[in-house]
Amino acid sequence: MDIVIVLIKIVLALVWFLVLTLYLTWLERKESAVIQDRVGANRASIFGIRILGLFQPFADAIKMIFKEDFVPAFSKKFLHTLAPFLSFFFVAICITAMPFGNDIMVGGRTISLQIFDANVGLLFVLAMLSLGIYGILLSGWASNNRYSLLGGIRGAAQLISYEVALGLSLVGLIMVFPSLKLSEIVQSQGGLLFGFLPKWGVFLQPLGFIIFLFAALAETKRVPFDLPEGESEIIGFFTEYGGLKWGLFMMTDFMEIIIVSTLLTTLFFGGWQVPWLSADGFQFPWGGQWQMARWLVIIFQVLAFNIKVFFFCWLQILIRWTYPRFRYDQLMDMGWKLLVPLSLVNIVGTGLLLMVIK
Amino acid sequence: MESAGMKIVIDDRPVEVEEGTTILQAAKQAGLHIPHLCFHPAFVPEGSCRICLVEIEGLPKLELACATAVRDGMKISTQSPRVREARRGVLEFLMADHPLDCPICDKAGECKLQDYYQEYGLFEGAFKEAKEKRDKIIKIAEKLILDRERCILCTRCVRFLSEITKTQELGVFRRGIHSEISTYEDAPVQNNYSGNLVDLCPVGAITDTEFRFKTRTWFLAQSESICPLCSRGCNIYVDYHPGFTRIPGTAKIYRIRARENLEVNGRWICDFGRYGFPSLEKDRGDKILWKKEGRDTIMSWEKILSLLAEKLRPRHRTKNTSNIAVVANTWMTNEELFLFKKIFKDDLGLKKIFFADPRPGSGDGFLLQAERTPNARAAKEMGLELNPVNLDDLSKNTDVLIIFGPFLADLHDPSSLKNDLDKIRTKVLVSSHRSGLESYVDFILPASGILEKTGSLTNRDGLVQKFSAVCPPCGDSRPEWSVLIELAKELRINAGYYSRLTQPEVILKEMGKEIAFFR
Amino acid sequence: MIRSLGYFWELIKGSLITARHFVVNMWFHTLKLFGIKTKRRGAVTIQYPEQKKALASRHRSLQRLLKRQDLKPRCVSCMLCVTVCPSECIYVEAAEDPDPDIQKYPSTFIIDLSRCCFCGFCVEACPEDAIRMDTGKIDLAQSTRQDLIYDLDKLLK
Ligand code: SF4
Ligand code: SF4
Ligand code: SF4
Ligand code: SF4
Ligand code: FES
Repeated sequence: MDIVIVLIKIVLALVWFLVLTLYLTWLERKESAVIQDRVGANRASIFGIRILGLFQPFADAIKMIFKEDFVPAFSKKFLHTLAPFLSFFFVAICITAMPFGNDIMVGGRTISLQIFDANVGLLFVLAMLSLGIYGILLSGWASNNRYSLLGGIRGAAQLISYEVALGLSLVGLIMVFPSLKLSEIVQSQGGLLFGFLPKWGVFLQPLGFIIFLFAALAETKRVPFDLPEGESEIIGFFTEYGGLKWGLFMMTDFMEIIIVSTLLTTLFFGGWQVPWLSADGFQFPWGGQWQMARWLVIIFQVLAFNIKVFFFCWLQILIRWTYPRFRYDQLMDMGWKLLVPLSLVNIVGTGLLLMVIK
Repeated sequence: MESAGMKIVIDDRPVEVEEGTTILQAAKQAGLHIPHLCFHPAFVPEGSCRICLVEIEGLPKLELACATAVRDGMKISTQSPRVREARRGVLEFLMADHPLDCPICDKAGECKLQDYYQEYGLFEGAFKEAKEKRDKIIKIAEKLILDRERCILCTRCVRFLSEITKTQELGVFRRGIHSEISTYEDAPVQNNYSGNLVDLCPVGAITDTEFRFKTRTWFLAQSESICPLCSRGCNIYVDYHPGFTRIPGTAKIYRIRARENLEVNGRWICDFGRYGFPSLEKDRGDKILWKKEGRDTIMSWEKILSLLAEKLRPRHRTKNTSNIAVVANTWMTNEELFLFKKIFKDDLGLKKIFFADPRPGSGDGFLLQAERTPNARAAKEMGLELNPVNLDDLSKNTDVLIIFGPFLADLHDPSSLKNDLDKIRTKVLVSSHRSGLESYVDFILPASGILEKTGSLTNRDGLVQKFSAVCPPCGDSRPEWSVLIELAKELRINAGYYSRLTQPEVILKEMGKEIAFFR
Repeated sequence: MIRSLGYFWELIKGSLITARHFVVNMWFHTLKLFGIKTKRRGAVTIQYPEQKKALASRHRSLQRLLKRQDLKPRCVSCMLCVTVCPSECIYVEAAEDPDPDIQKYPSTFIIDLSRCCFCGFCVEACPEDAIRMDTGKIDLAQSTRQDLIYDLDKLLK
């Protein structure tokens, strides 16, 4: 029975993940178009029905599937094929650790809306994200193309640099919610601060949040941190890819956006927590109260989680369509000279504060 | 020159010229160009166009530069405002009845009237009257068309026909504004030099049907060459169009013009040479073929040359070359004949060397010679005997035959040619043109046409004239000299010697060392 | 540090601009979705094949050859357009017209549109006003190269 439940959870989470990824490509096209006073992709149609170009992702997918699966001569065929799968796998697996909502009771069983609640959940996600580097490095190297290699090396250097800041920025958070278990971190964000402010990570760790946001953006390798790709100069580590394999890289990109959004939500914005909503309804700080059925609360919470994730996806796309690409030295400066020292300051500051409060 | 030297000053440039020189010639010596239309160095000046006016210090009126002889101490100005004004006036009168034909005029681009208008004219026409209408398409010769509207009555054509060819077919008829160039009672211009009228006419009044409307002059690349059609070796310009990239067959030669060389042809060439060029471009062979068991196989130069060398080498090694025969021709350049002699006569020691040349025609007593091949003299100077082909001698006991040139086909009737050639096992044809010989031989090597190669020719008077390629080789063809050198290399005879000869110039130098005539 | 903070502020300002564009345009898009007509539109896009913009009067479109009154081409095949064309896409062959007032007419006139860069030099160069680029035809794409080669018949139409 447990296995069936886990399987169902896996299927649901993957469907959620992939559908969101698919429509993120649509969102990217549309949002960028709206930002730039354009209309955006609106021509893909089925029997003349266009509905805002919602079929575009399918058109893209069909196109990618039917493209020639090309492996350049002199490349390492096996590694060349392996690389996109590695990239894809290490991002996709991160979703297992994400809590979508509070535990629910079905037929006397407690089911957590999370596939795999490891007690080192946070570390697991970070580890998987860093393993994604292998996909980039391998693709860059196995393609036997100088531009790919450059892109791969750039990617590795960038990801490793920002990994440091990413990890350090979370240390403060872990000190505040003394746990690495993602479900527990979300649980502990349920309380209130000064009686009215939700006890979200962002209020407890504002500096940590900012550092994490920057480092996480860099992890997604998108503009303004798209040096590994650098489409105007080197095209990047996937120069030699086409068709579905390239599609995997592209999907990895969008899935990373979602993972970063879920992480931001889970760690800093209360995960599935809705402000002032407790297990049996709203308790407003100004004294009001609104009783609610248990299942309604759960739906509210899952919805809240989704809305927060959408918001961060939207924000990341907005950022991608706002800034120009960093220069390489600026990128490194920002990572090592700004974010790392700041996160150290954050750790020491948090420690001192915690000591004082205790 | 020093004794009778006349010191004059033209536009502040002091010059010293011989007595009797005209101002125009003196200016030319000083490096100045005085515009002229009716004057032509080959004829007595006539002074009809009046565009050559210059100002001479101390003389009240402007004088004609083409007809005034210099006097000692003359001070001449060719560009003073008065002179320029006068030229403008002359041009305006010349243009008064001149049609606006430039878009359809074949002279446009090299027309003197256009040039001088650019330099001195640039006026708005002041004549408001309608232009005089005249006949525009008058056939004055088989290939010449006269346009009376464009004619400026410089009479160069008339003078050419009376002074050079002395046939006097054209004259100026009627008076005043009605004057016109015409033939006498419709007897057309009929001599072997009529084509020169087109070059001669300073405007587009005389055009020839060969070039008329075919292209525009500014598309043409003009290269210097030597006419190969008779042994006179007239100097020519070949005007070649490099072609349009997307339209096949547009790269071609459009016309031949006379090039001045007072030693050889003066300023003229004959019509036989001028209009003979289409035959040079027609029926070209452009593929290397091996007729292997009756099937045509396209080959590369490397392959076919090594194949030939394999057939010749054993015979050379055993000094048993008596069953090899070669047929040469004197359309080959000096360099090629030299290599031919070196390889086949000196190195291989062949006895059966024949020459097949175009049949002689008849000369016309002026430029055209009866001998219709450009380089017979060189062969003689090299010590080659111009044995005509005797088919019996050619085929008797012959195993390998190499024929250079297409001319053999014209000299013998096809059936006896086929009969005798069939007796020979291996037959090789190195030819620029298709002639019918192809069907009798097994190896066909395309040679470049004479206008596609660089080299030198010796004319009947023993003058060695160099020329360079006008256009790129046709198809896969190669000049015979390079075929010969490659063959020699493949045969591995005298390797050091032949590998040094990389260019026609080098070969010519080498010839100079070995044969005194070419020094 | 202070400088970096300044940059930071500018970064935020930048994303506020894009966010403003997003919100404002979304507002108009939404109004349109509900059928409310506004003067301003959410996007400046023109939906091309359905909507067309009027061409400017001096717009250079597909070439055409003009005709004389007797419907012969006005071109005298002076080849000035061939000369001036920077893409070398015009090819003209002349032939002799028996009429001494015309004399020369084009027996072949080819414009290879796959090379034409629509510079309009041919029109400028023509001394006879025989070629113009005022057909207003701009949807010239074809699926074979051969279809892009316009000959005398096509150009005279
Ligand atoms: S003769 Fe010269 S000026 Fe006269 S129409 Fe011809 S090109 Fe023009
Ligand atoms: S036809 Fe030419 S050469 Fe003869 S008079 Fe006229 S312009 Fe002069
Ligand atoms: S420029 Fe005009 S007249 Fe001349 S060939 Fe071109 S279209 Fe014809
Ligand atoms: S528009 Fe320009 S490129 Fe096109 S045919 Fe005319 S001259 Fe040539
Ligand atoms: S050149 Fe002197 S008058 Fe014509």
